[in-house]
Amino acid sequence: MLKLPQSSTDRKHFMIVGALVVVTTIILGFFLLAILPIKAQASVQAEPIRWLFQLHLWLIAFLFSLVVVFMLYSLLVFRRRKGDTSEGEHFEGNTVLEIVWTVVPLVLVVIFSVIGLRTLQQATSGGDDVQVEAVGFQWSWTFNYPNGVTSAEMVLPVDKPALISLRSNDVIHSFWVAEWGPKQDLVPGMTTTLHITPSKVGEFSLACAELCGLSHWSMLAKIRVVPEDEYTAWMDEKLAAQNLQTASR
Amino acid sequence: MAAVTTSAQAAALHPHDAHAGHDHYAAQLRMNRLGLWLFFISEGFLFGGLLTVRFFLWGADTRPELDQTIGLIVTSVLLISSVSMRLAETAMERGNRKAFSVFILLTALFGLIFLGGVMVFEWGLFPSLYPAHLTPWGDKYGAVVFAMTGMHALHVISGIIFILIVWNLARKGNFSQERHWGVESCAIYWHYVDVVWIFFYPALYLIGNAVHVTH
Amino acid sequence: MRLTSLGVVRGLVGYFAGMLIGMAVVVISRLVLGMSAWDQEAVWVGGIIFSIIGFLLGVGAMSDWLKWTRGVQTPLRHGPPVNQPAWTRYFGVDYNHKVIGIQYGVTAFMLLVVGGSFALIFRSELADSGITFLQPGTYNTVLSMHGWVALAAILLGIAGIANYLVPLMIGAEDMAFPRLNAFAYWLNVPAIVTLLISMLFGWDSGWTAYPPLSLRGPVGYQMVFWAIFGIGLSSILGSLNLIVTMLLMRPKGMTLFRMPILCWAILATSIIQLTATQLIGQAFLMLSFERTLGMPLFNPIYNAAGENIGGQPILFQHLFWFYSHPAVYVFVLPGLGIISELLPVFSRKPLFGYRWVALSSLAIALVGFLVWGHHMFTSGYQPYLRVVFMISTLLVAVPTGVKFFSWLGTLWGGRLTFQTPMLFTLGAISVFLIGGLSGPILATAATDLFLHDTYFIVGHFHATIFGGFVFPFFAAIYYWYPKITGRMYNETMGKLHFWLMTPGFWLMSLAQMTAGTMGMRRRIADYDPALGVENVQLLVTIAGFVIAFSILIMIYNLFTSAEVGVLAGNNPWRSRSPEWQIPSPAPEHSYARPITVVGEPYDYGLAGSTYIATAGAGDD
Ligand code: HEA
Ligand code: HEA
Ligand code: CUA
Ligand SMILES: [Cu+2]
Repeated sequence: MLKLPQSSTDRKHFMIVGALVVVTTIILGFFLLAILPIKAQASVQAEPIRWLFQLHLWLIAFLFSLVVVFMLYSLLVFRRRKGDTSEGEHFEGNTVLEIVWTVVPLVLVVIFSVIGLRTLQQATSGGDDVQVEAVGFQWSWTFNYPNGVTSAEMVLPVDKPALISLRSNDVIHSFWVAEWGPKQDLVPGMTTTLHITPSKVGEFSLACAELCGLSHWSMLAKIRVVPEDEYTAWMDEKLAAQNLQTASR
Repeated sequence: MAAVTTSAQAAALHPHDAHAGHDHYAAQLRMNRLGLWLFFISEGFLFGGLLTVRFFLWGADTRPELDQTIGLIVTSVLLISSVSMRLAETAMERGNRKAFSVFILLTALFGLIFLGGVMVFEWGLFPSLYPAHLTPWGDKYGAVVFAMTGMHALHVISGIIFILIVWNLARKGNFSQERHWGVESCAIYWHYVDVVWIFFYPALYLIGNAVHVTH
Repeated sequence: MRLTSLGVVRGLVGYFAGMLIGMAVVVISRLVLGMSAWDQEAVWVGGIIFSIIGFLLGVGAMSDWLKWTRGVQTPLRHGPPVNQPAWTRYFGVDYNHKVIGIQYGVTAFMLLVVGGSFALIFRSELADSGITFLQPGTYNTVLSMHGWVALAAILLGIAGIANYLVPLMIGAEDMAFPRLNAFAYWLNVPAIVTLLISMLFGWDSGWTAYPPLSLRGPVGYQMVFWAIFGIGLSSILGSLNLIVTMLLMRPKGMTLFRMPILCWAILATSIIQLTATQLIGQAFLMLSFERTLGMPLFNPIYNAAGENIGGQPILFQHLFWFYSHPAVYVFVLPGLGIISELLPVFSRKPLFGYRWVALSSLAIALVGFLVWGHHMFTSGYQPYLRVVFMISTLLVAVPTGVKFFSWLGTLWGGRLTFQTPMLFTLGAISVFLIGGLSGPILATAATDLFLHDTYFIVGHFHATIFGGFVFPFFAAIYYWYPKITGRMYNETMGKLHFWLMTPGFWLMSLAQMTAGTMGMRRRIADYDPALGVENVQLLVTIAGFVIAFSILIMIYNLFTSAEVGVLAGNNPWRSRSPEWQIPSPAPEHSYARPITVVGEPYDYGLAGSTYIATAGAGDD
């Protein structure tokens, strides 16, 4: 059995704890990655979000281990033994330490501010090759394309930057496709926008993410991301159908 | 569940009652003063919030059309009322009860004139006297004007009530030259309400270009 | 004993009488002004305002002041009521800070149970997909009530701790303004009654009450607005009282840096409450007026040219979060103060870096004023604001970290024992840690664009609230229980409570976060089984019930131990703090003689050092 040093300032304590922190950080990091499977992965804007999210998980794993391992170690090693009636060691603080653990987190904060800024730019920028207007209302959606096509489902070509303008006339809603990453509120009285470049073909679900009354929970719409030629075909079909409609009117 | 032990001298009077000694009065006075100023800091956030609302909704470059003459008059009246309030307080400090009564009632009167001006001319409460240019429900201009003047008027009204209470207590001889926290607090409160208006007046009447709204 | 001799009964009579009078006043004024008699918004607003005043008049919280306006002097009455059982003082106006503290604390506990029970109701609905017994409208109301009732419980719980402990800890006779203190407590009661009445009408915006939604729904909103206004006013007045008490009523020798550390936390909390609370009060009043008078402050309206000449919804969010973000530090700072207070006692060591811990509370409070926009990353405000609020939010991590590391420094090299209060303290540290660390991940705006309004947020704030308030609150209850009742709680049941609640809580919070990353939105009455979160949701529900069960054990423990617990003696924890140097239960007049401070508060393990001395007969 390992024999622990008596003095609380002995280096050995810190070496043991340090090693344990490394081990738990790794275990905890993988555990967190496993239990927090972030869904954002089907758009260009989702990539930086997922990347930063997972970076954060490692930071959490490290800081959590740091504090909790130190704590559990103290609980074990410095617990009062049977029959011991002495008081704890008397030290009231250490200015150097306090400064260290103020400055180090400060540095981390600066680093994460810079990273945060960069990812924010990546996650909120993109082109406007395709433009769609999404109108939310209690409790449904319609999508208007610049060429006059109106649809109850949103169809976008894959890998083409899309600019989605968002409008609402009743209450606040929020446009969110989990797989795409970012969300954006629809605010009465203003038009907001969202850049999305879908990177995976498939069917997704658009959900309103801001409580908007009775049927908020079911304010959903279908999103289809399709290859470019399929998109053009769909658009043509829609156009034809709508022209037909207007013509017959 | 829990009980605070009932001590033998239950229900006995507080050992340091308000009249007990000079020391206690001085200590209580310090606490009262600090408490009042903390209250003002707190209220400052309320009025600051209203100013924020005004700048958020109107921006720095617009304001509604309001009657400038009336604005200037009510503002002057309110400022003068602060002078008369100061005179009342000094009268109390000198022990001149007569002058105190006169000045404090004069202050209340000025307050009432201010209030009347706001109600009649800004709010247009009596259209037969003066037709209003704004309604609270018309647009953001009316809404903010009413929100700001309404909250301020509420404070003026409570100030006037405060004055009347203090006047009545003074009449009954409740204050002395040395001990008149009631008068002091009333005076500070009144000045405070005035100062608030000094911020509100330019925000409502002076900053930005008047826009004429029609709906 | 007649029933009406209980203040609260008279208050309730006043409440309903006031309501009728207020309604009548509105109806009559409307008739006089030539409008239709009935407008439910206006009539209810009148009813609510008058009912709150009616309650306060009925209970007698304003009687002294009303007498003063007539020049009648009223001595401060002390001690239990005459000719009545002693317990009745808890049901009426009493000026003793210990009584008021207990009134706050018990009310808070009741609210926690009510609010938690709401959670259990909607959690049962969410246990699997498909709508079974809660219709979406009811779901929204129950959820919204859960939010506000639980938050009210926190505000009152903190006021309870502060009221009971601050005067005791600084050796003051009472609070600076005992009548204001009682008034502030009693203001909560009609506000809570009003909040509960809102259930009958429903409201569905969540606790945040964002317009335009909150401008449209049922009339229940009006009750919520005014109830929160009342609770807010109460916390403004209460914090004013606490600040004056701490600044002016400390005994000789107690400099600010020799106060027990909890006082620092409460000072920082009080600064927030004193100032920021005005803005939520104002925001809710504006909502109420927009509903009643149609003042377009938040709802846009358009002129013929299509320009918006009305209000802006985002303005509300700024006002709301300017309070509600700092408010989360109100929830948490006293809890962190309790952790800092208890650790030295159970480690038999000085608090590591007292000054840093004290000042970090202040730093958290002050930086907390600059970060409100992190709740609005997706709201559509100017994009540069995202950057500003991202950086300011991340900064809060720094002073919070100082606390954590100082706690480790306190534990290191101690002689630790693990009674229930210590267990809850340690639990609080670990739980608040995961809550806090899930903050920066939201603060970096890009990630929040995904996480906002998902269950990840729900996980984040239950962790911060449990770690920052619930665990420390329970620690505090167990710890000061002997001082309040004179008896020990049952240690076995206390430990059982802890060992049920802690894993229950971890399960609940982590499962909520998992659901969030899988795409589960907040505030939805039902979810798509295709999300794949059904199992996770079931876990959250089970965990919620485990927590509730553990709290039932606590309630049983507290009730029975008050009768059969072992006598605790003055100072069962061997603490140096002043409140433990007086008899248990704390007597009516806490300190027979004024105390003076002659040493440092946390010099555990330093032979021969003392913190306070009782003034001799001569040197008053
Ligand atoms: C007690 C309550 C409490 C506390 C203390 C906190 C603390 C923090 N909160 Fe939280 N929060 C809430 C309660 C609380 N929060 C609630 C109720 C909501 C939701 C409201 C709603 O919408 O209904 C919310 C929502 C919320 C959001 C908005 C999410 C959204 O809706 O999109 C954000 C975003 O930035 C956020 C961030 C933070 C941060 C950065 C902290 C920080 O203060 C945390 C600081 C602590 C640590 C970081 C851990 C310890 C530090 C160290 C070990 C040092 C080293 C660390 C680093 C360098 C990172 N919170
Ligand atoms: C003090 C704060 C607090 C506390 C303690 C809790 C406790 C709990 N909360 Fe809640 N919660 C909030 C504050 C709090 N919450 C807030 C502010 C919101 C946001 C609201 C909004 O979005 O607007 C929220 C939202 C919220 C949600 C999100 C709902 C949604 O978005 O749709 C969920 C979902 O799981 C949840 C669950 C729980 C559970 C399971 C508990 C459990 O821990 C509860 C455990 C039970 C008790 C504490 C009560 C004890 C009960 C007994 C002892 C039983 C005895 C009872 C009888 C005999 C009748 N809460
Ligand atoms: Cu629309 Cu929720
Ligand atoms: Cu916040």
